[in-house]
Amino acid sequence: MKDLLNGWGLTAATFLPLVGLAVMMLIPKAEETLHKVVALVTSLAVFAIGVALIATFDYDKTGNLQFVVDKKWIQLINSRYIVGLDGISLPLLALTVFIVPLVVIYSWNHFPEPNNPKAFLALILLLETGMVGSFVAQDLILFFVFFEIVLLPMYFMIGVWGGEQRQYAAIKFFLYTLFGSALMIVSILATYSLSPKINIDGHLVHTFDMRLLSTWAGGGLARTTGILVFGGFFMGFGIKVPMFPFHTWLPDAHTQAPTQGSVILAAVLLKLGTYGFVRIAIPIFPQAAKSWAPAIGILAVIGIIYGALGCLAQTDMKRLIAFSSVAHMGFVMLGIATLTPFGINAAIFGMVAHGLITGMLFFIAGSVKDRFHTLEIKRLGGLLIQAPHMGWLLGLACMASLGLPGLAGFWGEFPAILSSYSPAAGLSLPLFRTFMVVAAIGTILAAGYLLWLLQRVAFGTPTEEFADEHIHDMHLTDYIAWVPMVVMILVLGFYPNLIFRVTDGAVIHSLAGVTKLGG
Amino acid sequence: MGQYLPVVAMLVLAVVFAILSFAASKLLAPRRPSAAKSSPYECGIVPSQEPPERFPVRFYLVAMIFIVFDIEIIFMYPYAVIYRDLGAFGLVEVLTFAIAVFASFVYLIANGALDWGPAKRLGRRDPQMSATRTTTSTVRRVGLEGRPAGDEEVAA
Amino acid sequence: MTSLLFAQLGTPHRIQTPSVAWSGLLPVLVLLGGAVVLMVVGALLPRRSRHSWHLWLTLLIAAGSIGCAVPLWFRVRDHGPLSILRDAVRVDGLALFLGIVIVVGVMLAALLTDGYLRREELEGPEPYVLLMLSATGGLLMASANDLIVMFLGLEILSLAVYVLAGLHVRRLRSGEAAMKYFVLGGFSSAFFLYGIALAYGATGSTNLTDIQRFLATNTLTNNGLLLASFALLLVGFGFKVAAAPFHSWAPDVYEGSPSPVVSFMASAVKAAAFAGLIRVFVYAFALDRHDWQPIVYVVAVLTLLVGSVLAVVQTNVKRMLAYSSINHAGFVLVGVQAASDRGVRSALFYLATYTFMVAGSFGVVTIVGRRGDNRHQLDDYKGLARTEPLLAFAFLVFLLAQAGVPFTSGLWAKFYVIGAAVEARSFWLALVAMLSTVISAFLYLRIVLAMYGGADEADEAAPAVPRLRIPFAARIALVVSVVATIGFGLVPGPLTHASKTAVPKIAAGK
Repeated sequence: MKDLLNGWGLTAATFLPLVGLAVMMLIPKAEETLHKVVALVTSLAVFAIGVALIATFDYDKTGNLQFVVDKKWIQLINSRYIVGLDGISLPLLALTVFIVPLVVIYSWNHFPEPNNPKAFLALILLLETGMVGSFVAQDLILFFVFFEIVLLPMYFMIGVWGGEQRQYAAIKFFLYTLFGSALMIVSILATYSLSPKINIDGHLVHTFDMRLLSTWAGGGLARTTGILVFGGFFMGFGIKVPMFPFHTWLPDAHTQAPTQGSVILAAVLLKLGTYGFVRIAIPIFPQAAKSWAPAIGILAVIGIIYGALGCLAQTDMKRLIAFSSVAHMGFVMLGIATLTPFGINAAIFGMVAHGLITGMLFFIAGSVKDRFHTLEIKRLGGLLIQAPHMGWLLGLACMASLGLPGLAGFWGEFPAILSSYSPAAGLSLPLFRTFMVVAAIGTILAAGYLLWLLQRVAFGTPTEEFADEHIHDMHLTDYIAWVPMVVMILVLGFYPNLIFRVTDGAVIHSLAGVTKLGG
Repeated sequence: MGQYLPVVAMLVLAVVFAILSFAASKLLAPRRPSAAKSSPYECGIVPSQEPPERFPVRFYLVAMIFIVFDIEIIFMYPYAVIYRDLGAFGLVEVLTFAIAVFASFVYLIANGALDWGPAKRLGRRDPQMSATRTTTSTVRRVGLEGRPAGDEEVAA
Repeated sequence: MTSLLFAQLGTPHRIQTPSVAWSGLLPVLVLLGGAVVLMVVGALLPRRSRHSWHLWLTLLIAAGSIGCAVPLWFRVRDHGPLSILRDAVRVDGLALFLGIVIVVGVMLAALLTDGYLRREELEGPEPYVLLMLSATGGLLMASANDLIVMFLGLEILSLAVYVLAGLHVRRLRSGEAAMKYFVLGGFSSAFFLYGIALAYGATGSTNLTDIQRFLATNTLTNNGLLLASFALLLVGFGFKVAAAPFHSWAPDVYEGSPSPVVSFMASAVKAAAFAGLIRVFVYAFALDRHDWQPIVYVVAVLTLLVGSVLAVVQTNVKRMLAYSSINHAGFVLVGVQAASDRGVRSALFYLATYTFMVAGSFGVVTIVGRRGDNRHQLDDYKGLARTEPLLAFAFLVFLLAQAGVPFTSGLWAKFYVIGAAVEARSFWLALVAMLSTVISAFLYLRIVLAMYGGADEADEAAPAVPRLRIPFAARIALVVSVVATIGFGLVPGPLTHASKTAVPKIAAGK
């Protein structure tokens, strides 16, 4: 078992969805149930592999890559098929394989117009390949390919199954991200040709191998060059996160995307950006990361405050949650900007927590839209009366999102704020302490808008418009999809060490370059 | 310079011949112009505007075909002079060239480029009287087809 | 007088005629001979035929040409390039690689032409003959090692394409396109010829090997003449590949010309012109690269930007694709600008993959254009995904490949080009190229969304249009293009390897 996983585990987790996709392509479009079953079975199989990976992962050596496969891929440019899993990727991989089956289950009877489960589920499976692949890839080109693959299904999901402004939102989403990727690919190639050649089979060649590049860690690179190359990565990942001021695609994309799209977007796709910082940009260019850290920190706290203020100004529930994502990802980025193990651990926790909580919120928003056909906060109210279960879950998710201790959200935000009290050596203390204060204000604002949302949507009595309507509370599929998420939010809230224990070693390992630089 | 002398001699001869011909026709031809002779229409109606020049396009076609064979001849002359020196290579080259020209000649003949007079084949293929011939199919509206409007499809 | 005349001719003596390695020229000769045979046989048999034997014969001839090129490829790979006709023609990897690309372009265009001719009630073997003749010129250009031969190739290539542009005799636009193309093309040929003259003046030879040797062994005290010849030659090539600022003919001509012909123009003609460009600049003028690189740099930046920015404002899909093909020319120029092995390799890879993408794109455009070939507005693509899902999918693949999305050959094409630019330390050029990709991605997405998303409300109101007819031959072309585009996207290795093998050695710097 262990041997099999060692050789094939990650590859199987990555490409199994494609196999499912191929099977679905062979099934005629009319066989909707069969499509659903195939998609569910595939995603569950991937989940099972994920569980097996988690079970056999060696938690004593989280800093080391495990289940590594290193095979020839494109020899000409010496890009290799390298996949591996360490403490940083493990939680995110787990999050991905966990969320996708839930999304498929939720979709069971909730296909957005224009229906067509075959195409919709196929896109979800394709997304899964891209997401899992991005988290396990250890070669820059391989990573880039997976990173880009994710774009397309999401683009179609928004553009075809989205709301009224879907075309605008889809194109905006695609162009913003593509813009980032375009700069990133230049940076990847620059990294390739700037890094020293390594010896492979007697030939001196450049490499895309992230492991080797992290060991190199930008040694001997001119300061400005490093800063510019990091800038390319910053754009690629920062837009994906999204950081202020590149966040404008996010509210549009979220608002227009179908529920499933929003959930995957919030839960996993945004993490690709922050993961990229932690996995690629910082370990390979620690020196440049240090120069960029204040800027990232400033943008992060602007994001926190701006996102919160943006939330307060929203009238649409989904848009509000989208803006809250901007704020939450601000916390994550703040943790990353400190360049300390503590901050980055917090950031990774924040990613997972945000994935679960915001995913949950989008699920609920989707269900609300399904029943009321609107998400305008003004027209909603009294959810607790009409659909008590859903109302309570909304309450729980809001509490988790605002960072109530005991729920997952807390462990993402609080340590991130705390870590900026003492950033890595060489970063300006006063500046980061200011960030800390501003971010703390951000949490107050977060409490403000989330409670406000909860009060307007869940409390009170239903508005006249919907007072007499029968609102169905949660469906069976809703229960199956949401309960695991709630459980995870609670478990992680009570026992955060579940993740910290995994990430810590890997984070310290990946920050080796920064630590070496010293003051 | 001496080597160009024959060329110059040819040139002078050509010019002299042309001048002589023109001069001869000017001097010798009888010239009795009248108004009726120079009017464009024999029926006598005075045109209100300059009539467009009518000219059979076949003249151009023939002129172009002529050029092709003219060029062949131009290549043949020098070859004829030194064909011994060139040997088999020259023969192959000229044959290749001749075949290419011949192929185009066959093409021209087959497509009726040298048929003079009204097109006979067209008449045989499409009878003058038939149900498919209507005013829209026979009257050609110039300038509409191929325009982006697209709705006014004109069958040719 | 007569004695004088004959005295000049001298006594007979054997003239040394070059020995010709005919086997090296076989791909060209097969194509040329095939074209002549098709012309004659086609003229003798009835013009109207229920069977598309013109097409099949064309494919057979083209396949024969490729069949002759493949053994040559291995011979050249193992034993070095063949120098034919006193080094006027050089059959090397570059020539064969792009030669095969050009012939593939002919095959794809021919497959599209068949259905087009039937739909438009045109007839005769002429389009196929012209395609093959034009390709002959292209092959000659790709293997020319002498500027004069290259000019001959360019003219053979161009003259045939001028006629092809006016193929649709009953469509005014088609004639207009042919006229524009002809006048501007003639103009650019003149520039090219003048450039050759100046290069001859500066170096004393038109043979590229001699030019390169001359420049390597001599230092020009005044290189004004050489620089002027660079500029003029670049104008000539720039026109053929539609590089800004010599691009302005492209949108009009692409819009007016029959769509299958456009696919040929954008694939094979471009490949041939780039072959010439690479041969002359990257190889013959290798040592003066510091003089021409900045010019190509600027031209590449302009081409990339013009191709992407102006495409965005178009509403006619054919014009959009015309501008996008300008943008792609810019990408290949980025590879050329690097003036390195990697740069040439990436340009070759780009041209090979782009041939399939663009042939496929214009194949779809041909079909959607319907009778009259003028339904090219974005609105005509609305809801295509529902009425013709497979056709829409094929177009999707081509568009995404042009945008450089993973799993398509477009990603690798762009990747290699950018890699070459980065390696040559042209970071800003690489950046501009990628940004232009983003801009042009917008336009591909517009088409994609029109096909996939835009038909729900408009659908009921839209008048019932008859189903599109997708001819069998066009189907083949589309399937081949899709398979190639995705295939080279998944497994770029073989093509990458071939492009690597194809690259001749560049003379080392001074």
